[in-house]
Amino acid sequence: MPTYKLTYFNSRGRAEISRLLFAAGGVKYEDVRLDREQWQQLKPQTPMGHLPILEVDGTMICQSKAIARLIAKDIGMAGKTPLEQAQADMICDSLEEFGEKMLLFLREKDENKKEELKKEFEEKTLPAALDQFEKLASAEGYFAGSSLTWADVSFFAIYNFIDILMPGDHLKRYVNLSKVMGNVSSNPGIAKWLKERPESAF
Amino acid sequence: MAPKYKLTYFDARGRGEPTRLIFAAAGVEFEDNRLTFEEWPAIKPTTPMGGLPLLEVDGVTLCQSLAIARFAARDVGLAGKSNLEQAQADMFVDEISELLPKMAGLFFEKDEAVKAEKQKEVEELIVKTYTILEKLSGSAGYLVGNRLLWCDLIFFNIASNVENLKPGTVQNYPKLAKSYENVKLNSRIAAYLAKRKETPF
Repeated sequence: MPTYKLTYFNSRGRAEISRLLFAAGGVKYEDVRLDREQWQQLKPQTPMGHLPILEVDGTMICQSKAIARLIAKDIGMAGKTPLEQAQADMICDSLEEFGEKMLLFLREKDENKKEELKKEFEEKTLPAALDQFEKLASAEGYFAGSSLTWADVSFFAIYNFIDILMPGDHLKRYVNLSKVMGNVSSNPGIAKWLKERPESAF
Repeated sequence: MAPKYKLTYFDARGRGEPTRLIFAAAGVEFEDNRLTFEEWPAIKPTTPMGGLPLLEVDGVTLCQSLAIARFAARDVGLAGKSNLEQAQADMFVDEISELLPKMAGLFFEKDEAVKAEKQKEVEELIVKTYTILEKLSGSAGYLVGNRLLWCDLIFFNIASNVENLKPGTVQNYPKLAKSYENVKLNSRIAAYLAKRKETPF
């Protein structure tokens, strides 16, 4: 295995998918967490100027999905065939788009507009997305093939934010998605990480 | 015998062109299915996520333009040799693709005042993105490693649109300019571009 060093803020955000994957694969890595000041100092020295960054034997990779996909491949959770890998990629791209919609209302400064956007997200965007993802997940609870891939873990990671922002049993009527969540949280490495991981708001 | 791949998109470059360029670079035949805007509403509900492009291969329908392009690249040997090299290529693709929605927004903007503002934002984002890519890219004339990969094609595709917007931009970034030229000079790509139908986007 190569040496891995993951750098991000002290939060889950765009790095947690990678941390969950490292945990699932039982892979040791350096989990570097910067505060805002440390990042301001480091930032000009990085080629890309944003986080997360993964250093693999000295090579720097940025872009959270590129990082997660690499780790997934290294631990055998990217998809067993090229088609399954493409299906996993497809889901992760769609999850990212969904995440961007969530960020829209999170970033809104105007309180009234924020409430409006949040309401629209909870009542329209979220159910539409869950309907779509339910169709794409198998009855066994996998988005690609018949074993856990980073697509399932990505869904789990994003759903965590839904849980925080709008608590409620949104997955109640989604049988396949509930299975996905169960498959991820019962992975031994992930289960252990969920118990031990540092606390952070987001 | 029918081609192994069927790509469905609109009659435009847009989000279909990356995969067309990848197949062209590899000299691989594919069915280039182009829908009219009138045909699309009937097809939309039959798609996995309600969007285009689609790639049908071995009875499976894929969507999401970059997932499709990456699959095609991998299938034709343009994804990168190792997991790490593939990740480097992915990184370039993701960085450059951040320009897409902003450029599309600018292209389709009708209000002149808003358009001017968007133009300024896009130009700033181009400088920011190109600066990042220039620092990250290799010196062998390609973005990653020492041969053409799909990330060079993706960069070429978006950079061509940038050149339409502001000619001469890529020349300010020596390594990016080399990759851009190498794609243009690639004999299969040159032949493809010579035959390619002109479309507004």
